[in-house]
Amino acid sequence: MGSVSNRVRRARPSLGTFVEITARGDDEAKLHGAVDRAFDAIARVDRLMSFHHPASDISRINREAFQRKVTVDLWTWRVLRAAQKLSHESDGLFDITVARKLMQWNYLPRRYWNVSEGNWRDIVLEKNCTVRFRQRVIVDLGGIAKGFAVDRAVEALKRAGVSSGVVNAGGDLRVFGLKSELVHLRHPAEPMRPAGAIKLRERALATSGIYFAQKRRGRAVVSSLLDGRTCRSSRKVISVSVAASACMIADALTKIVFVLLEKSVPLLAPYHADALLLERDGAPSWMFRSSCDTTGRTGFD
Amino acid sequence: MDHLPRWILPAAISVTVPLPCYAVQYLTVPAAQKLCFPDCDHFTAAHVKFTPAQIRAIEAASGQKELLRGQEVWRATQNGKLQGFFIVDYVIGKHLVIDYAVALSPEGKVKQIEILNYRESYGGEIRNPDWRKQFVGKGPRSQFALNEGINNISGATLSCRHVTDGVRRLLATYGVCLK
Repeated sequence: MGSVSNRVRRARPSLGTFVEITARGDDEAKLHGAVDRAFDAIARVDRLMSFHHPASDISRINREAFQRKVTVDLWTWRVLRAAQKLSHESDGLFDITVARKLMQWNYLPRRYWNVSEGNWRDIVLEKNCTVRFRQRVIVDLGGIAKGFAVDRAVEALKRAGVSSGVVNAGGDLRVFGLKSELVHLRHPAEPMRPAGAIKLRERALATSGIYFAQKRRGRAVVSSLLDGRTCRSSRKVISVSVAASACMIADALTKIVFVLLEKSVPLLAPYHADALLLERDGAPSWMFRSSCDTTGRTGFD
Repeated sequence: MDHLPRWILPAAISVTVPLPCYAVQYLTVPAAQKLCFPDCDHFTAAHVKFTPAQIRAIEAASGQKELLRGQEVWRATQNGKLQGFFIVDYVIGKHLVIDYAVALSPEGKVKQIEILNYRESYGGEIRNPDWRKQFVGKGPRSQFALNEGINNISGATLSCRHVTDGVRRLLATYGVCLK
């Protein structure tokens, strides 16, 4: 038997959260090198796509893309393109220009003034990784970039010969290789308590919840999970987990399912994604497995 | 159908099951030193004890409260030449203490940050009859969840703000005590 017995597990602060990487293989020194490469990929995504770093691609397009074409990194461009596709498919429910509202509600720092009302259709992606805005909009990739970072880290680990592992960026995670992993879900009402567990293999899982995201605004409670069409925050539910093959897709789809709930099935199916909704008491209220049944409810009811 | 996630039941029979708090040791201090300074042959403890004036200076420079009376610092050297500083620090996370290490270049630039120990307190139990109702007989055997413990958690993002604040305080400490 080969000795695929070593396991390296490390964590660093990045992307505004804790990123944890687990890698299995035979040579421990090689595993550490692979984990270093994976953290480099995560740091690169953070550097390119952070709303907060003034030199990031996102800050550059937010400042300049209304006046002139801005060339961005291929990685940034890929995330923007995926976001546009999801906006199109969800008819604007997923919309990275909700940054304007998030900034008004102090989820994002107030860095830009004179931001005009606009939506994802005002973002034009052109050849050679150039971006241009038709309106003075601002974008934030907070709902999708973390998943992309996880995917790039997994890619780096695989390229470095790691046989199996997990990359977990503050709850958005991806399991790769032959070994399956058990993932606990936070309890929606009591985040410090697990509500249940899911077994995953070769699969990504992202969870969005309003646990820590809620704020009081006057008498109303708002959260950072917004419907891009109405700019209303969703607050009925609770916690949404989506499983898909790519973490970027899982990450973005949680925002859509959060608003559409059961109606999100037509959007989940093409991505072969599964969804699980938890209610306030931690009970699974609805579940969808695209790979089993693409017609609708398949829950355990 | 192995690529499917299996939603499984944490507690099949008993409604209340004790679970350990989530605690991970990622790296020991020597292991983290080796990763941060792979070429260095010596790590000399150069622990710092703060004077009241230094504490005031660190707090003024970082805007952070200095809760420790000193700092665990190592000088990393290769053939006697200083390659940088390795500092171990502690911050309060969501509820419990996080131990982490920062590697600084001799000029005081952050080279690397590694979490050493991470702890999160958990309510200690899964108590939810509704999971049971929905999942009994549907998922794989439930002992699975109990035996493996908590390794991976999916949920809303926890902020790493306390660590980034801590790093800012350590940079002030460098300016006051190490430079």
